[in-house]
Amino acid sequence: MPTNEVLLEVKDLRVHFPTGDGLVKAVDGLSFKVHRGETFGIVGESGSGKSVTCLTALGLTNLDRANVSGEVLFKGQDLLTLSKEELRGLRGKEMAMIFQDPFACLHPFYRVGDQIVEAILVHEKMPKNQAAERAIELLAAVGIPKPRDRFKGYPHEYSGGMRQRAMIAMALAHNPDLLIADEPTTALDVTVQAQILELIDKVKREFNIGVILITHDLGVVADVAQSVMVMYAGRAAELGSREEVFSKPLHPYAWGLLESIPRVDSAGERLVPIEGAPPSLIFVPPGCPFHPRCPHRFEPCDKDRPDLVDRGGGHPDACHLTIEDKRKLWAEREARRTKGVKV
Amino acid sequence: MSATEASVRPAGTPRSSGDPLVEVRNLTKHFPITKGIILQKEVARVHAVEDVSFSIYPGETLGLVGESGCGKSTTARLVLKLLQATSGSVFFEGQDITRLSRAAMRPIRREMQMIFQDPYASLNPRQTVGQVIGAPYVIHKTEGETRKKVQDLMARTGLNPEHYNRYPHEFSGGQRQRIGVARALALRPKLIVCDEPVSALDVSIQAQILNLLEDLQQEFKLTYLFISHDLGVVRHIADRIAVMYLGRVVEVASSDDLYHRPRMPYTAALLSAVPKGHSGANVAQRVVLEGDVPSPIDPPSGCPFHPRCPKARQVGGGEIPENCRTQMPPLGEVDPRHLAACWYPVEKGEGLDKAAHV
Repeated sequence: MPTNEVLLEVKDLRVHFPTGDGLVKAVDGLSFKVHRGETFGIVGESGSGKSVTCLTALGLTNLDRANVSGEVLFKGQDLLTLSKEELRGLRGKEMAMIFQDPFACLHPFYRVGDQIVEAILVHEKMPKNQAAERAIELLAAVGIPKPRDRFKGYPHEYSGGMRQRAMIAMALAHNPDLLIADEPTTALDVTVQAQILELIDKVKREFNIGVILITHDLGVVADVAQSVMVMYAGRAAELGSREEVFSKPLHPYAWGLLESIPRVDSAGERLVPIEGAPPSLIFVPPGCPFHPRCPHRFEPCDKDRPDLVDRGGGHPDACHLTIEDKRKLWAEREARRTKGVKV
Repeated sequence: MSATEASVRPAGTPRSSGDPLVEVRNLTKHFPITKGIILQKEVARVHAVEDVSFSIYPGETLGLVGESGCGKSTTARLVLKLLQATSGSVFFEGQDITRLSRAAMRPIRREMQMIFQDPYASLNPRQTVGQVIGAPYVIHKTEGETRKKVQDLMARTGLNPEHYNRYPHEFSGGQRQRIGVARALALRPKLIVCDEPVSALDVSIQAQILNLLEDLQQEFKLTYLFISHDLGVVRHIADRIAVMYLGRVVEVASSDDLYHRPRMPYTAALLSAVPKGHSGANVAQRVVLEGDVPSPIDPPSGCPFHPRCPKARQVGGGEIPENCRTQMPPLGEVDPRHLAACWYPVEKGEGLDKAAHV
């Protein structure tokens, strides 16, 4: 269960990449908190800044090539001010990351077990055979059958789901406090996705850690996250508990996302797509970045950038509409949608 | 088609039957695995598609779902005769096309087109959009002015006709997929095989393309074979759905029937694994299957799903029943218009054991 202990606090993070074509504002003024014991879901479309946020938090963006400002406080310590050596001491030890493509993350020439042993020995001095025992325990903990035999296996002998399990085992080597999962199930089939999501949830409960889950799949977030942040064009559009965001979404972009997904449990009704396409991060529209695609835009939207404001209820959003208007508009959309549903 | 044909018509037929546009009978495709450099010896076979039969009726959308490696795409390529079947037949408008020569195939190819998954890889980067969409006219030497026809198509698929001379890299993912749709539509085919057409797109764009496909189907009376691993998408667009597992079709039903009342335990597990999220479905009811899909090089005997099947274990009291292990259940009618290949179909309201081992 989520606790009050803040593990990670991001304050007004900006990550801009100067390129030949112009300044890419990948992340532009982002603030959020992740607590111990919670799964914090970040959703958004490709290019909305989800991954850059987390890579920057881990110190994995090249600071020579990017302008980074703001604060990333991990257990009270600002990661952006740490040296490379200090960051290396934290990465893999107190915070760990698993990536989308488990095929690309394991070295094809080395045995999976040896790669986990290597991850263990980076931060801890111990005899190799002891580290091997620890690796076998980890493989068993993430549900790999016959871990002692599998320890000697090569990545190509593992299936996609098992590779992702091995990656999770590696991430858990040093009992981290924070686990960042960047699209951990996107490359996997649904039945295997269900296994991996369940495993991440189990790991979170048993190790009592915080998890950041990045995904473009709203269904995944709704299933496993306690808090949700919806990102658009490098900014937070909306931030709140899962219940709030899915049952009373406040931002027109979140409405659009929810309505454009075909659902397994209802068929027939016409999808309501969001018009247009996500903006280029070099030429982000002035004002609210979503206004060119927003059906509810009005006077100030193309001029003033709305801030992420909490209007009570701990469910802030960045939009100029009043809360009364939002409630009314969402109720209308809900009514229109449920009317069309064939049972 | 003959009278015997009508009598063997599968039960999963839609209301608007008539003769099927495509009929697939006992289709099988094995890929050999060879060893040796000069003398290539076949050492094993990948059983990609195994004894698959189904029909597609004019104007309907047949969804084909399953996990990666279950043979969806191979089936699609066999239907279009882009691959030669090992055995079995594909009938297109009553004609067996599996044994036709390339020359005889050519006029039939006009009637069947394909939309591919990756709009980045399926368009030639060195051709302008006009050339890409106009290529079918050139290949099939149609009459009339190509440019005008291409621009009409572009307008119809939501592209700006003035972009006729632009190159694919100047378009976004969603627009490229529109180019792919326009190209498939160029010769006014009867059948379009859509192989994961929206999987590479963001959700907001995905909805635009799905709506476009639906509109075009209405307007041009198209028939779709729609392949996807996304059950939500298939549920939305398909009239009937065929579920594949390890090269075999294990269940065929109308999409409502399939989602409300799956009979094959694999389908039930697959549906329960989809994150439902905001619909309020209970995560606790999710059936998490054990293990992975077995290798199609050495598929299990009997029912291909038996090593992972929670229902078989339930029936046998922990053991897998003998017939599941040794005999492949036939794809038979379990409900009206609902086919399933299972010795012990899931009953109404029956919950599967939550076989979670994580």
